[in-house]
Amino acid sequence: MECKDIRLLLEANSDGELDPVRQLELQAHLRACPACALLAKGLDARRDALRDLLPRHGATPQFRGKIQALYRPRAMRRRAPFGWQIMNLGGLGASLALAVLVGYSWGTSRSRTNGLFDEAISEHVRSLQAGHLVDVMSTDQHTVKPWFIGRLDFSPPVVDLADAGFPLAGGRLETIDGRPAAALVFHRRLHSVNLFIWPTGGSAVPVHSSAEKGYNAESWTQGGLNFLAVSEIPAGELDQFAEEFRGRTK
Amino acid sequence: MEAFEPNEPLTFDTLMLPHLDAAYNLACWLLRDPHDAEDAVQDACLKAHRAFGRFRGTDARAWFLTIVRNVCYTRMRRNRREPVEVAFEDDLHGSMLDPADANAVAWNEVKGEMLRKALENLPGEYREVIVLHEIEGLSYREIAAVAEIPIGTVMSRLARARGKLQTELLSQTGKGSSHGM
Repeated sequence: MECKDIRLLLEANSDGELDPVRQLELQAHLRACPACALLAKGLDARRDALRDLLPRHGATPQFRGKIQALYRPRAMRRRAPFGWQIMNLGGLGASLALAVLVGYSWGTSRSRTNGLFDEAISEHVRSLQAGHLVDVMSTDQHTVKPWFIGRLDFSPPVVDLADAGFPLAGGRLETIDGRPAAALVFHRRLHSVNLFIWPTGGSAVPVHSSAEKGYNAESWTQGGLNFLAVSEIPAGELDQFAEEFRGRTK
Repeated sequence: MEAFEPNEPLTFDTLMLPHLDAAYNLACWLLRDPHDAEDAVQDACLKAHRAFGRFRGTDARAWFLTIVRNVCYTRMRRNRREPVEVAFEDDLHGSMLDPADANAVAWNEVKGEMLRKALENLPGEYREVIVLHEIEGLSYREIAAVAEIPIGTVMSRLARARGKLQTELLSQTGKGSSHGM
């Protein structure tokens, strides 16, 4: 190998990421070439300095204790349902605890669809209780849609359904299924509908509707995006909402 | 498929909680505020716990850190304290990247505090690859999983991140010596 090829591999070599064959070739070159050897020495010195000197921020004992108390089953305690353990512990806001309780107690079935529905319903409940319904408050779809640009790597469809009885209230960012999602919020009388939108990324959410503890949810896929609507309004009305939204975003 | 000992329970606390420090460290470096970082990690635990039934992989740390990272980026976008996207630099071909000469810095004279400041001044995407690689010791492959980018991009981003870190350090020391004179 020539010096210019060697130099492209030096950093990976210093990181221990070269395969053994190329590593041997590179070491043979370094023994014969003082210029490349000097570069390699500098890279190693830099690597050691970064590893040794950069501080690692560790969780405080208080924070660690709080998280462990939330998620570590206690051997001494009779195994209570997870939700009750949470309720027994201070430190978290009641809204958060309830969201976990709601999310977890429905999460007994581990299928992907149920998991997603649980997650979406929890986010819906949390958005209502934390008073954090919208990041951008607007009834104008031409304000809400551009707001997502630059905040998400996809552009969610935004329509106002006021004439169908579901006025647009705004939007916010969420994480669904471990990835960033748009949440559109619509009003229905005194209730809210959360519509979560995220790219299918090869795992489309199946068309499904479900009713859990007073919440209704409905999912569909359109144009490479997953849609999941959640609300406490009756299933028939949520279905009407979904129909309207689908009809106007075709 | 699973690479765990059969008698080791595959529960959230045994698989994810050992990585709490890694999670907090990443959140701290990304959000640059210890309280924000705690909130983000707590949020990530909640999401990870809810999504735990869908964890199919063998790398719990990478899976957990991916969620932590996503939560942090959502917060960073909300706060709009900084642009979070790296401008097209990753698209440059690897062959166009000339590795910075690491000998430009006298590494044995560098102090931790200088290094910390320099790293805090880098954009998030550069900060995180250095944190994941140098502090948490993740391999290129693991970083690719956490940051959801190809391995080639991990390599070029790390190279650029270290180069920029060096530039930051040199500007710090340059300032220091001109004041001293």
